Amino acid sequence: MKFGQAMLAVAAATAMQFSASPAAFATGKMKCDAGPQSGWKSRTDLESKLKKDGWTVKKSKVDGGCYEVYGVTPEGQNVEAYFHPVTMEKLLVSQRGKVIFKK
Amino acid sequence: MLRILKNPRLIWLVLAIPGIAMVAGFVRDPVTAFDLIHPSGEYSVRLMIVAMMISPLRAVLGRRSWLDWLLAHRRALGVAAFGYGALHLAFYLYDMGDWGMIAEEAVIFSIWTGYAAMLIFAAMAATSNAASQRMLKANWKRLQRLVYPAAVLIALHWLYVDGEWEAMLAHFVPLLVLEIIRVVLMLKRRSARRAKHAMVN
Repeated sequence: MKFGQAMLAVAAATAMQFSASPAAFATGKMKCDAGPQSGWKSRTDLESKLKKDGWTVKKSKVDGGCYEVYGVTPEGQNVEAYFHPVTMEKLLVSQRGKVIFKK
Repeated sequence: MLRILKNPRLIWLVLAIPGIAMVAGFVRDPVTAFDLIHPSGEYSVRLMIVAMMISPLRAVLGRRSWLDWLLAHRRALGVAAFGYGALHLAFYLYDMGDWGMIAEEAVIFSIWTGYAAMLIFAAMAATSNAASQRMLKANWKRLQRLVYPAAVLIALHWLYVDGEWEAMLAHFVPLLVLEIIRVVLMLKRRSARRAKHAMVN
């Protein structure tokens, strides 16, 4: 394959990706407006709730005012998931950038 | 001092140090595999970008001794980029730990772009020796040029896998700007040559 053709193939695949599933492009991801942190549930509570539901939690942090969790779902998918820090509601689940759940 | 800088073994060693630290961390505590995926990938990208910047920098700045030095060690940079890429893949596979899930993820855009780039890196690394260079002749250069599509694949892999486009752009924009300048210079020189030809004829 010639160089130009190779570049064209990559460009075509990218264009297809953009047109086929714009929602799959999960950047900026999630914002939560949950008020002051004093009113938030603790991250440990969220983690234990998830573990009880069958998740494996690898890491969690605050991102965009939400709780962001890296882990494995009960179905075995490796995901990045966002939760509301007050209601603990699941907001967004993305598998390697592919959105598989959005509230 | 200057002679030390020319010792290839030392350069290979310096390039390997972060990798050795990562592997040591992993051996001590395999749980860190997840945390090592990103840094190993980032090292791979950085080494690839440094290796790719040498030619356009020479086109823009002309001959400089530090560029000659980099050029003399470009193979080490490229092979190290492959090495960190392989480490990145190994940490990812270990962290996944389930072939079924690995297969399921392989069709996701952000993941197959990574595999495709890895295949290109593997072909380039496997032919990064004098014997392959002699055997492949002009095709060797063609094969090494696959680094351009690999760079595009890697940029997309990074962007889609974690969406941190600022970090991705911080790495790729300098290279992109240099390549644009290089192409502009090339076109200018070409048209200047044509003009000269036209005058002579």
